[in-house]
Amino acid sequence: MEKTEHKKGFTIPIGPQHPALKEPGHFRITVDGEIVTDVDVRLGYAHRGIEKAAEARSWVQNLYLFERVCGICSHIHAMAYCLGVERLAGVEAPPRAQAIRVLVAELERIHSHLLWLGVAAHEAGFDTLFMYSWRDRETIMDVLERFSGNRVNYSANILGGVKYDLDDEFVQFMCEGLDYLETRSEYYLEVVTTDAMFLQRTQNIGVMTRSQAELLGTVGPTARASNVHRDIRYEAPYSAYKQFPISIVLDQRGDLEARFVVRIKELFESYRLIRRILEELPEGDLAARMPRKIAEGETVSRVEAPRGELFYFIKSNGSDTPERVRVRTPTICNMMSVVKLAIGHQLADVPMILAGIDPCFSCNDRMFRVHLDQSVYANVGPLKG
Amino acid sequence: MKFGTLLQDLARSAVHNPITEKYPFEVRATPARLRGRLNWDAENCIGCGLCVKDCPSQAIELIVIDKKTKQFQLFYHLNRCTFCAQCVYSCRQECLSLSRDEWELAALNQEDFHIQYEREVDEVPCVAATDPAEA
Repeated sequence: MEKTEHKKGFTIPIGPQHPALKEPGHFRITVDGEIVTDVDVRLGYAHRGIEKAAEARSWVQNLYLFERVCGICSHIHAMAYCLGVERLAGVEAPPRAQAIRVLVAELERIHSHLLWLGVAAHEAGFDTLFMYSWRDRETIMDVLERFSGNRVNYSANILGGVKYDLDDEFVQFMCEGLDYLETRSEYYLEVVTTDAMFLQRTQNIGVMTRSQAELLGTVGPTARASNVHRDIRYEAPYSAYKQFPISIVLDQRGDLEARFVVRIKELFESYRLIRRILEELPEGDLAARMPRKIAEGETVSRVEAPRGELFYFIKSNGSDTPERVRVRTPTICNMMSVVKLAIGHQLADVPMILAGIDPCFSCNDRMFRVHLDQSVYANVGPLKG
Repeated sequence: MKFGTLLQDLARSAVHNPITEKYPFEVRATPARLRGRLNWDAENCIGCGLCVKDCPSQAIELIVIDKKTKQFQLFYHLNRCTFCAQCVYSCRQECLSLSRDEWELAALNQEDFHIQYEREVDEVPCVAATDPAEA
């Protein structure tokens, strides 16, 4: 009896309601002593039916619906949607609007990465770093509030352009904030690479090789920390990234430390890009005129959210409401890496490995339908039961 | 994390007042672009209903009493509003604005959330509702 239990291991169910989880997700972790032998993940507890709701709303109304897919990366969702709808309508946003969109997207990336740094440090038990990074994150929140009036859900986008312009007073305020954050980011980079206690929790934990990262389909900083050249801003530049190219931040090691280093180095890249945009900000209108009915057709819109590739499929039937909008957020792509990487590690490392992909549960809860029609398999011969 | 850095922060915090503001006794200045309560300027409204159509949360109802004499009623449901400012952007007559100062909008009664804007009306010829729920 004892022997069988030892072989099977002991399964610990965590979630969907659990004090350690900020969002609902269910994990069944099988352990042999302290070592994880199997992980099973079940998602979908925060499914909100956003894609279906989009079919009942007009093109304009949907902009604000998709902005609320994620509270942290709200701008990039609206931007992905806008870019897709503008492509369908054959309208291009003016250069100044595109530059402002990218500028806000980079500000959002800074805010998201600083937030993640705090959360991940908290999971490692390093609450001082958590408090520091969240204190400094307030700087960027103030900048975003000054720009749009809101700390989150900035509503900076409209179909065809942006709502708000940059003025000198704001630019001055933002530059001061960026200067402060740059010195702080240098300090954080030093802390996560030199602090001996912290390195014990990150170095050689959750190591993912390049081939594993490609096989598991990881995206964003998680993939880049394993030396996978995957960044939509770099691979397929959209909006103003064509005029303002970014340089991709990579790391060879693939462990948790590399994910910290990649994200903090991306902060420097964002500071550089924002300053460059301010130097060469094009003049012109803020928005182009958009038709109320969008021409029939379908398109795919890919952008780089702070967590990785964000994918929108938009289909129009020529009316004033979309026929279908499909959203795929980066967390769903990265979740399989947690399931694979946790095996062989200590149970205490699982929260860190999970935090390493910067998960956002309610963003990724979408409906999947798997067609199990027998006729699909007609060409591959009869299925054996 | 170096010990000296922590000591510096400790010393600074010991002489520094708490950063928390004592709201509601101290009210922080709002940013210039803060989006608060919606205000309607009845003078310029032509009753096109674009604000009603574009509102993502169906917070606006416009009742056209007489389009020729520009007699409209605007019902604003504060508890539905997401303060996205799409109505302000959609309005070509620039008669909608989101207030910078009116942002403390909590209320104890449901009725306080349903705000009716109206211009003085002499007579009521006909009523055509453009409630988004019926449209």
